[in-house]
Amino acid sequence: MAYSDKVLDHYNNPRNVGSFDKKDPNVGTGMVGAPECGDVMKLQVKVNPATGIIEDAKFKTFGCGSAIASSSLATEWLRGKTVDEALAIKNTDIVNELSLPPVKIHCSVLAEDAIKAAIDDYKKKSENVGVESKAHA
Amino acid sequence: MKFYDALGLEPKLAIDLDDLKKRFYDRSRQWHPDRFSRSSSEEKQRSEEMTSMLNDAFRTLREPVTRAEYFLRESGLELSKDAPPELLEEVFELNMALEELRGGDESARGQLVLAQERFTGMLADADSGLSRLFASYDGKADAIVLEQIRATLNRRKYVSNLLRDVEKELNVHSAN
Repeated sequence: MAYSDKVLDHYNNPRNVGSFDKKDPNVGTGMVGAPECGDVMKLQVKVNPATGIIEDAKFKTFGCGSAIASSSLATEWLRGKTVDEALAIKNTDIVNELSLPPVKIHCSVLAEDAIKAAIDDYKKKSENVGVESKAHA
Repeated sequence: MKFYDALGLEPKLAIDLDDLKKRFYDRSRQWHPDRFSRSSSEEKQRSEEMTSMLNDAFRTLREPVTRAEYFLRESGLELSKDAPPELLEEVFELNMALEELRGGDESARGQLVLAQERFTGMLADADSGLSRLFASYDGKADAIVLEQIRATLNRRKYVSNLLRDVEKELNVHSAN
């Protein structure tokens, strides 16, 4: 099965590979995986707490080319979006952009799940920070 | 469940392997195509179908994991596609170590050997967990137990894939 040019481009030149300190209160971390292929994907967002805008996003994915391309594309799209805009990213957007074949759709689902998990993690953290600072006040 | 029916067994999760083997051999002899060489073409076809069914049934039922997967499917439960979340962090770290070893960083080897031991232990735990759950479900057909079996199988599959990757990498690099 041939990969599309866009998948190959992301696979050969993945954007934003790396990680942030997951203890940073402004960082949200999403870790997802698929048991049948053993893929595991870590996606992180760094949010500006004042504006709610995602200033940076990083990922590291162990898996096939489509899984790497899906998460690489996701980090590109996440930069500059608000947290709520990020949650509106759908796996079908990724499928269309990368022309993923039906057998690789689960890779885009994994990327969407990773985005949601990262945003969830950030939201939980920022709520906790709020609670703590009130407790200290 | 047709595999159990083919061997004249009640559908149970816990199985006596000697009994299973004996049933398989007896019935395979009974339906062996050689005994039908002078029969009608319908009977010949029936003997071939039964032989092939008995082979599938025996192969599926003799291993606890494939047996339980079959039992779940027949009970309308598919294996989950979600990775066990409690394992993900570890899987990620393990993949990092695999990547380092592939890149020639020998210091990752120790981590992989430890992982190999841990995963082997986890597989053994999953297997003993399964046999406990089998007995429990056979005693009282509780849907919750079937869910627990599914979760155990799911976890087991993930761990065994990881173990395969780790062992493959350790073997590839042991020559160096």
